[in-house]
Amino acid sequence: MNSIWEVIDKTETGPYMEERDFDLKVVAKRCRELVKEYEIKFDPNEIITTDDTLADDLFEAGMRLALEAGIFCRSTKRIIKFEEGEIHEAVVSAPNKLHIGTRKDARILYAREIEDKRAAIICGGQAGAAIPEEWYLPMSLSYMKEPLIDMINNGGLTVVEGRKVRTNSPLEIQATRRELSMLREAAERAGRPGIHLLAAESSVSALGDLAIASDRYLRTSDAHLVALLNELKTDYDRISKVVNFTEYGALNVTLVDPIIGGYAGGPEGVAVCFIASFLLGRTMYRSDYHVIHPIHFRYMSTSAVECMWNLNIVGQAMARNAPFILMGDVWTSAGAGTEMIFYETAANTITNVVTGSHPLGVSATNGKYPHASGLETRFMAQVALETVCSGLKRNNANELVIKLAKEYKDRMDKPDIGKPFPQLYDVSKVIPKPEWNAIYLKMKKKIADMTGLDL
Amino acid sequence: MNKVHILDDLADSVINGELEKAAATAKKALAAGLDPYEAISEGLMKGMAKVGDDFSKLKIYLPEVMMAADAMNAALGILEPAALKRGGKKVKKSKVVIGTIYGDIHDIGKNIVAMLLKANGFEVYDLGREVPVDAMIKKSEEVGADVIAASALLSTSMPYMEDLISLLKDKGIRKKFIVMVGGGPVTREWAKEIGADGYGDDGDEAVKVAKELLRKVKPR
Repeated sequence: MNSIWEVIDKTETGPYMEERDFDLKVVAKRCRELVKEYEIKFDPNEIITTDDTLADDLFEAGMRLALEAGIFCRSTKRIIKFEEGEIHEAVVSAPNKLHIGTRKDARILYAREIEDKRAAIICGGQAGAAIPEEWYLPMSLSYMKEPLIDMINNGGLTVVEGRKVRTNSPLEIQATRRELSMLREAAERAGRPGIHLLAAESSVSALGDLAIASDRYLRTSDAHLVALLNELKTDYDRISKVVNFTEYGALNVTLVDPIIGGYAGGPEGVAVCFIASFLLGRTMYRSDYHVIHPIHFRYMSTSAVECMWNLNIVGQAMARNAPFILMGDVWTSAGAGTEMIFYETAANTITNVVTGSHPLGVSATNGKYPHASGLETRFMAQVALETVCSGLKRNNANELVIKLAKEYKDRMDKPDIGKPFPQLYDVSKVIPKPEWNAIYLKMKKKIADMTGLDL
Repeated sequence: MNKVHILDDLADSVINGELEKAAATAKKALAAGLDPYEAISEGLMKGMAKVGDDFSKLKIYLPEVMMAADAMNAALGILEPAALKRGGKKVKKSKVVIGTIYGDIHDIGKNIVAMLLKANGFEVYDLGREVPVDAMIKKSEEVGADVIAASALLSTSMPYMEDLISLLKDKGIRKKFIVMVGGGPVTREWAKEIGADGYGDDGDEAVKVAKELLRKVKPR
């Protein structure tokens, strides 16, 4: 079995390669060849597919890419390679159930199956966003107050006490600690002190992350994100985060976000790259659960049709062949306060829940503006719950997702970015303002009528 | 082989990312007595424009654009010296110094913009990722850049973009360069706030804005 210590050995002894050669001669070339060999095809009319053979073929192609490519370590320009047995061991030992959070707020986070009848775990927050310090507490509280939300992944801070936080500066430590202090306070105020946090988003280098491994900030019942760099890469900063959390005993979560249009190619190549990334991410970081986030080179949003197809096929391929716990991102182009965000959220959430992942979001405006609140995440949770309760099958889900996507896909170029949190919520009471609540009620009914879901 | 065929072959070799064919066809063009300027503008640049267009429509992807740029450079290496020998001036292209700003390790978005700029006829100096502000300025002065383009995916690297503009002002050379910013968390409003000249929401917009700014700010 590989531990992080053997991985560090491999970063020093693996084959040397120039990064450009790895990008073009390994990742780009092999993704393209494997897509062709396995005849993997993206079909915009089948955002959610019922083709199990396609899912299995994709998994096999991804496994081959994982074995052939390995992971490029930017710090040493060496490739971390794994044998088939090492990857196999990492797959079979991957948790398919985890206890997260503590006491009454504890949940069991599990590997979802295709068309799973169990309620999905709902992760709320505007992940990836830079949130102003003065709203961070009430905004976090707006998520914690939602009873359907089981765990939290909110954005980070980029200004602390009036000082801009810069990457690698000592302020990263303060920002990450402040983020955690405010999340803890919000959890206490909401009466959910044990809620599971996937946090430390203010730490972009390892600095802040190393400074919050403590009961006061991020507990061992909590988790942090460790990204795989695009595509199939890591560096010593990522590995330092893993080393620290491995010894600390909290959960490592791999963030995988290949780019459609980037080195892996189009939607099909990205799907192959996803599978390889999950397998290698688990083998390398010993990750406990994983975040699936396809990025569209133009829109960013996971609600783009090509991205939802990826969430679908990768989720199904993993559920059938390597049942990892997957959190599927729900990142919308539109912001809170708009009607468009509800269409995007509904389509993205149905896709995730039916095809093997738990929804994580809503990261409105792709985290670009802090135009988000607990209310649209309540809607995400309601859609997720009703998707399961109604026993939605893949073919019906596909029809609904196509119908919903028609409402927004042509507007993704110029989305309505909505309003910032204080214009949407009464910040002192932390409740939605009447106008925002009225839009929510209107859109909930509209989408219920449109989809037949009892929202 | 006639002139039209050679020009088409040059364009095709770029479109297909065929480095060796591009170089061989460039040599063939010179042997056939073609004007090297015409070979560049009607052959190579036409091919590269098609590549940029196809990428924008997601018909091809970043690796194909990179291979096309390599093929174009191989042919340019033969055609440009020949043009100079004939007594012409070097084809004047607008120069862009681009990089992911300090502290930020993400470079795919920046690579996409760099490739699209190349595809649209810019001379691009890509400094890579985690580029210190002073290194960006030093290179821009050295090559006589028209545009400095900085990218960031991390919000916490955005302050270094402000530093870039401050340092240009401190050195008294702010007006020498068009400064453009972009990347995941960077917004139009923020670009304006820090005093950047331009912002691109994506690669296509970055190219469009760079061209517009060059027309307005630096008329040639």
